[in-house]
This record gives sequence, structure tokens and C-alpha cells, in this order.
Amino acid sequence: MSLKLPLRELRRQPNRFVVATVVLTFLATLLLFLGGLLDGLYLGSTGAIRAQQGDAIVFSSTARDSFLRSRIDADTRAAVEAVEGVEAVGGLGFVLLGAAVPGEDDPADVAIAGYELAPAGVPDVATLADGEGIADDRLQDQGVGLGDTILVGPQAVPVTVVGFTEDTAYLLQGSVWVNLPTWRTVQNANRPDAAVADTTVQALVVRGAGGDLPARIDAATGGATRTLTVDAAVLALPGVEQQESTFNQIIYSTLVVVLAVVGLFFSLLTLERLGLYGVLKAIGASSGRLFVGVVVQAVVVSTVAFVAGSLLAIGAAAALPASLPLQLEPSRFVFTFVALLVASVLGSAISLRRVLRVDPASAIGTAS
Amino acid sequence: MFLALREMRRAKLRFGLLAGAVGLLVFLILFQQALLGGLINQFIGALKNQSADVLVYNDQARKNVEGSIILPEQAAAIAAVDGVAAVGPLGQGTFTVTADGGEDDAVIFGYTLGGPGAPTSLSAGRLPEADGEAVASAKDEEDGFAIGDTITVLGPGGTLELTVVGQADDLNFSVAPTLFTSFDTFAAAKRVRNGVGPEVEVQPSLMAIDVASGVAPQTVVDRIAASVDGVEPLTRQQAVDGSPGVASVRSSFSVILGLFYLVVPLVTGLFFLIVTFQKASSLTLLRAIGAPARALVGSLFIQVVVVMAAGSLIAFGLYAASLQGVKNLGVRVEITPVVVTSLVVLALALLTSLVAVRRVLRIDPIEATTGAGVHL
Repeated sequence: MSLKLPLRELRRQPNRFVVATVVLTFLATLLLFLGGLLDGLYLGSTGAIRAQQGDAIVFSSTARDSFLRSRIDADTRAAVEAVEGVEAVGGLGFVLLGAAVPGEDDPADVAIAGYELAPAGVPDVATLADGEGIADDRLQDQGVGLGDTILVGPQAVPVTVVGFTEDTAYLLQGSVWVNLPTWRTVQNANRPDAAVADTTVQALVVRGAGGDLPARIDAATGGATRTLTVDAAVLALPGVEQQESTFNQIIYSTLVVVLAVVGLFFSLLTLERLGLYGVLKAIGASSGRLFVGVVVQAVVVSTVAFVAGSLLAIGAAAALPASLPLQLEPSRFVFTFVALLVASVLGSAISLRRVLRVDPASAIGTAS
Repeated sequence: MFLALREMRRAKLRFGLLAGAVGLLVFLILFQQALLGGLINQFIGALKNQSADVLVYNDQARKNVEGSIILPEQAAAIAAVDGVAAVGPLGQGTFTVTADGGEDDAVIFGYTLGGPGAPTSLSAGRLPEADGEAVASAKDEEDGFAIGDTITVLGPGGTLELTVVGQADDLNFSVAPTLFTSFDTFAAAKRVRNGVGPEVEVQPSLMAIDVASGVAPQTVVDRIAASVDGVEPLTRQQAVDGSPGVASVRSSFSVILGLFYLVVPLVTGLFFLIVTFQKASSLTLLRAIGAPARALVGSLFIQVVVVMAAGSLIAFGLYAASLQGVKNLGVRVEITPVVVTSLVVLALALLTSLVAVRRVLRIDPIEATTGAGVHL
């Protein structure tokens, strides 16, 4: 038996596979939707930190790795700069506020981010004048355009957008990258009880050599700081690690359901065909070939379900409100497709035992 | 019934697989429902369970407490609005604290003692009566937030101690341990956190309002919106429902749960349709020897009920075990949602198995003589 037979059955009797395909389609949509939410939450929360081009981020020791609670003064910065192996140090600060956008009724959610060492996709800070900023492109969805002057916070501090960058959101708010004096102006005007001095920043981005760089920095500051690698600082953002583990648990549990559904469907289909398999074996088809036929059908059903599920997910993403942090990344489609295929192959393998046990002699009298 | 159960006993793997798949799906529904309820309570329990009828935000905050700040001139204008019986500042911030010997994050709310904004779900102890006293979220009792415990706020400005004098249920905010204290204590904590001196005025995040007797909160909301610039007044319920995160968490989970509710009956319906198809010749024979269609349909329904019951039991076991892993959300194992969800999925499964019932009813006993069965 060649592979033509299972494919021909799929073509000639598609009704037999419709229900399984529909169930798998919904499961594929569910997997993409769950993954899209996870990606949207992760990418939207962490972009500003992932974009940092440094080896470590230094917080004050009592901040519990929170930018908003951290304060690094000039003395601490000098101590960090003096650490052996440190090549460059830049201040960093965030303030989360609403901003009035010209021509828009609703304010935009912005994260004003003051920087010295340019993150990926953001120009050298020397190119920005006071009151100018580079906005994350997600702010375009809230009506921010090139050349707009947005009025930030209750005190309406003006910041003019002179360029756009991408994937630098912070805690689901679009960042506007400004120089440190502009950040301090916005922070001190709108958060007077959290005002910072001219030499104070929230955190330091450090470039330097050596895997023990964080430990050396914390030792040099006498425990006044807590230094993390950039990856660790990403995971330290509120909720990021918990979201990832919860969503992954749901995604993997759903994949087990896919496996069970495929297993169930094809083991029943195999049971139904035992007589036919007996005939095929009697005329020379090997167990391997018969089993490959089952796997091929599972793969085709999963592929069709994946395509239909993807279209459904894309349609749902377009129909749902933009406030939903759903982000369908190409990598998520690849992951879901591969996971569906693996679950399908494993699920169809449940039928292997039955295929192997088919006795060609059963062809006599029982085949239909 | 005899046939239905015997068939299930003889095909344990087949029915076991289905019960397992259903169990896993029902578990995912239960787990996500618990997660949704827990998340919402943990995100905005503090707003839900405080006494103010109306909360006033800065209009740039987009209903986000953490992004809101009320300016002094706005506070004065709000107090002058007709229908406002009492008004007071409500401050909110997240702080690094030591509790039970370890460092932790805690959210602190500050309100005017005796005024609007006090916790309403007190379960033990009393409300604060002086600066330095606080009511803590009851869920965090074992983590150093029990009555009599001392919580120390840390920051570049030094330290500040708070003593827990009461506990309240569902009082958390942003999934962190939460304390309600006097506004002055909150302001002092903020100065410690931000490393600023006593000369720095701490602005309230919101204004909390008790409306006058006989005046509807919505009326006061409308009056404030009409007369005070740059603010967004909301009733307590509007503040809860409009909190950023809550609406998007609700809509995300609705879509996910909707898809799960769709998949469970489809899987069950698919299974019984195929099983019916496979048994076609036997069912035809049974009809030919006199078995009424009602008995065959009854057997089918019995199998659906047994499979769904087994699946629900598996789901309950998984649900109870998994909730131990999300204790930080304050979710408890509750029987009612398990029963309700199980009944809903059972009803949906019975509905989709009607397709299989239709196949059974279409069996013509005469076909027993020709060897033909039903066809999909």
C-alpha cells in the first residue's frame, strides 16, 4: 500500500474526518489565542528592558528590582563606574502617566523613559533636545503622530515626538524615550512627592566584562545596590514570571487534550478498519505502511485544522478590542503548528498496537 | 442500562481516554474560572471593599489608581460640589516592606481615619484609630501581616513602622499584600520610599466621597464631572469594573472559556457519533430482535452521563490539587462552581450526542437481513 490510499480516503470521504478537524480547529485557535495573549503581555511589558544594550542593570537595594521605587544617587553611580571591568554606565528612569494627544479625546498611556545609553532602535541621546522624545510605535494606535506635542501628566508637560521606534513598551504602556533632564522635568512636575535630584536616576545600565559583574558592583557599593543581568531584570518586572508560568501550564494542558482527541479519533477509526487492514495485510501491505497511513492522515487533519484555526485566531484578533494585549507572533504560529503535529503523531501512535495485531488471516470472512 | 455499562467495562481504554480528555477540559475550565475570580479580587479587592460611594480620579489616569494624582485645587473644587457629605484623600502606592523577617512588596492605602475610604470587610480586630496603625489583607496573615505584627517600610528615606490592628477579607490590590492606614502615615511611607523630606507635600491618588443621604452616587458623579476640570469621577462599582486590567482580563478569559465550552461537547459528540457508527451492525441486530429505539437511545445517554461524571470527578481532583499552587491568589476550592460547570458541560454533551441519537433512530431493523448498517 502506498501513501495514496490514506490520502485518497481523505479526499473521497472527507465527512469522516470533519468532526475531528473541527475539534482540532477550535483547539488550534485556543492554543494560538492563549499563546498570543502570553506574547502580548510579555512583549508589551518588557520591551523597554529587553531593548537595553547593557550587561547589567543596577537598582537600589530597597527597591526589590522595581524601577519606580529605585533611586541611585551620584555617589553610588561613582562607585559603580569605578568597578574594574565596567566600560560604560548610563542612567535610566521611568514614569507612567497619561498624556493629552492633539486631536484625540482620550489621553494616551505613556511611559516617559529617560536614558543615557541608547536602547536598541533608539538614537543616541545627544541627538535629542530637551522636550523631544522618540515614541514607541504602539502610541500611533492612540493617535500620536510624528511632530505631535503631547502634554504629559496632570501638569501637562510638553514633549514633542521627533521619531518612532518599536518594541520598547513598558508595563503595557508606550514608551517615549527622552533625555534625563526631560524625564526629571516630567517626573518632578507630575509626581512632586517622588521628585528626583538633578544627579539622581532610578537605575543604571552597565556595560562591562565578566560573569560576576553584578556581584562585583554590589560589593563595590557596600550593599547599597542590587544588580541584575538584563534577562533577570526582565523577569523581575511585576507579573512577568507568573503570567508566563500560568499561561504555559494552560497551553501544555491543552496540548495534552489535543493528543487525547487525536488518539481517541484515530484509535476508533483504526478499530473500524481492522477488517480492511486484514485484507491489505493479506495482499502484502506491511504493518509499518498501514501505520504510516494512519500518521499521514493525522498530520493532514492537524494541518488543515491548524490553517483553519489560524484564520479564526487572526479574525478574532482583528475583531477584539485593541485594549486586549493579544499579539500573534510568527514564532507562535510555528510553535503551535509543530506542537499540533507532534501531539497528532503521538496521538495516532495509540493505534499502533492495534495495527500490529491485525492478523492477515482475519481477511477471510470478516473483511467488509 | 445493563448493555451500556457492560460495553463500558469491556472497552475501558476507549471510554477511559474520553473521560480523561473531558476531565482535562473541564479542569481547564474550572481552573480558569477560579483564576479569573481570584485575579479580579486580588487586583481590585481594595477598591471594591472600601467605604467611599464615589472615587474621583485625575482624568489623565484612565481609571488607573497608580497613575492618578489629585491636585489641591481639584480637591477643593470637589469638596464644594452639592451632594458631597464627606470627602477625603485616598492615597495608594506600592512599597518595599519587611514582614515576618523577609522583604516583600506591599500596597498601602491611606485615608482620613473615620472618613470615606475605610475598609468594609473587616474580619478580625479593628480599624486604625491612630497614625502607625493599619488593617491588613486577611489572605496574607501567615506572611507576617497578622494582627499584632509590625510591618516596616523601607526606602532611601529610612524606615517606617506600621502595626497591624485589624484584618479584612478580599482587600488586596495588584495581587500584593495590602494595608489601609491613615493618610498621614501613607504620606510618611511615601517620603521614606522616595527619599524626600517632610517639607514635600504628598498628593492623594484619588478623592474618596460619601454622598449625602438621599442622593444617588451617580448624581454626584455627574455633578463633579460637570463642575470640576481635569477629573474623572466614578461610582465604586464603575471604578471596579473600569480598572485597567480587569476589563481586558475579563474579555480575554471570556474568549478562552467560550472556546473550551465549545470543545468539550464537540469532543464528546464526536466520540459517541463514531462509537455509534462502529456499533451500527450490532444496533441494527438489536433492533431486529425487538429492542426498542428508546432503549438504545437510553443506553447512549447513560454512557454520556457516566463519561461526563467520571470526567467531572477527574477534573475536580485536578482542580483541587492545582489550586494549592495558586494560593497567592486567595482562591479556595468551592463545590458550587464545580457542580454548575459539570452540569453545563453535561447538558452540552447531551445536546451534541443528539447527532448520535439521530443515527440510532435512523436504523432500520430490516437492514439486519442485508448486513448494512448506518452510514455517516
